[in-house]
Amino acid sequence: MTVTICIGSSCHLKGSRDVVARLQSLISENGLDSQVQLSGSFCNGRCDQGVVVTIEGDDQIYSVLPETTEMFFQNEILPRLAG
Amino acid sequence: MLSLNQNDNITSIKDAVLCEVARLAYEGTLDEKKENLPFEMIPGPKANFRCCIYKEREIIRQRIRMAEGKAPGAENDANIVQVISSACEECTLGHYQVTDNCRRCVSKKCQSVCRFDAITMEKDRAHINMDKCKECGKCYQACPYHAIVDLTRPCKRACPVDAISWDEASGIVKIDEKKCIQCGACTEACPFGAIGTRSFMVDVINLIRSGKKVVALPAPAGEGQFGKGITMGSLAKGIKELGFADVVEVALGGDLTAAFEADEWAEAYKAGEKKVTSCCPAFVNMVKKHFPTLMPNVSTTVSPMCAVSRMVKAKDPEAITVFIGPCVAKKDEILDLSLDGNADYVLTYNELQCMFEARNIVLTPEAENIQHGSIYGKKFAGSGGVTAAVLEAMKEKHGVADVNVMVCNGAAECKKALMLLKAGRLPADFVEGMACEGGCVSGPGCAKCEFDARKDRQALLAQADDREIWQNLNEHVDLDSFSMHRK
Repeated sequence: MTVTICIGSSCHLKGSRDVVARLQSLISENGLDSQVQLSGSFCNGRCDQGVVVTIEGDDQIYSVLPETTEMFFQNEILPRLAG
Repeated sequence: MLSLNQNDNITSIKDAVLCEVARLAYEGTLDEKKENLPFEMIPGPKANFRCCIYKEREIIRQRIRMAEGKAPGAENDANIVQVISSACEECTLGHYQVTDNCRRCVSKKCQSVCRFDAITMEKDRAHINMDKCKECGKCYQACPYHAIVDLTRPCKRACPVDAISWDEASGIVKIDEKKCIQCGACTEACPFGAIGTRSFMVDVINLIRSGKKVVALPAPAGEGQFGKGITMGSLAKGIKELGFADVVEVALGGDLTAAFEADEWAEAYKAGEKKVTSCCPAFVNMVKKHFPTLMPNVSTTVSPMCAVSRMVKAKDPEAITVFIGPCVAKKDEILDLSLDGNADYVLTYNELQCMFEARNIVLTPEAENIQHGSIYGKKFAGSGGVTAAVLEAMKEKHGVADVNVMVCNGAAECKKALMLLKAGRLPADFVEGMACEGGCVSGPGCAKCEFDARKDRQALLAQADDREIWQNLNEHVDLDSFSMHRK
């Protein structure tokens, strides 16, 4: 599963790098390195919804902030892997 | 001069768009003024390059989108290399054609070499039956009058991995994202400039304007890119005028990569394993996408870009690192966020040059120079340079460097070596892979082509001191503060 995080300047200022770092450590802590890949994307103009995160095979945009990263991981990533 | 005229060519048009976008981004008026830009650049009423000013303006609009980092059209795929649909001039689709030069000679060489029975002799000239033609090119080589021409689309001919096809109905080129290694060869090959790459330029300018600490990491191909006497010191002065807080030479990363790759190779050699280099991202993409079973052979030592970025971030975790080089595949390397601490953004030397122009910054030879990398790190940018640096690092540490390396200069040679490795028939123990012929110095993101830059580059490199790789690292780098391997 690939999780894509926008690395454009607007999302950067909203903390995309922290979101990536937190996701990286959550993935490692849960031993999911081989199952979840993190990929960056260019800005696609949805800056109002930043930090823009999308999940492979899903059109929805998730607005994730550093402080909501863990919740996003628990609610969106883990259930998909279990299913 | 904002408006384009008939003396402009594809290079000056591309540069003008980047320059105008950079200028507006620095002013903070890009969103407000970008819609008007195509009208200012193509004032009309007469068209200079295409059928009409409306097409010319649409091409400019799509180029602006790419300069902003967006896909030029509505489709938003993740590829770095993108087709500007409005600029794709629908080259002829037949590959080989018989021209008027055919004398309808009696030797009928074209016919006799054709193994597919595709050539017939018509009243005036030979004829190729396209249903039978397999595009082998034998007739093209055989004709004593050069009467058969190869009309393969330049982009397709340039692509080393057969990623280019076209829409049957419109003839407009498509790039297969699953095959594309982001080398950018097609962007240089298209005579209409219809293939380009997305840019992080506006993002970098926005972050500079927001007051963040943005650190520039210029690649070792830099010497020679900006003309005679423009040393890394002169370049760094200009880069700081653009608003970057600091400048660290990636040649130092070349030293780091060479030193750690030397250790990795020594261990692999003992274990009887073969390794390929990891510093050229287009080459690594070639392995990943076209020879996936060979991924364990890719050296785990990180690229010079990643090494220097990690070094900078180990000192200041808040620093935003921007690699500046001749490479477009580097833009793709940083999108792999599983790789910790890599550069945050990538610019090309061409984009940097346009930023200088937008800010009216003229580089001049400065008395004060900077040198962070050894001459071996600086020469990483040329074919054979990585091998030379790794061997030097081995020699410095062990006294000998007795390894067999195959230097692959360009994507075609890379592909050949990977096929041999896959078949278990590679004679060498190690492969240096560089997707651009000549190495990074010939990359599609150069400000100046290798031929034009060569003389100045040689003169500038001759000024470098003779420090050794390990000496340089021990004196200037805290090697315990960051890792030199993937994870």
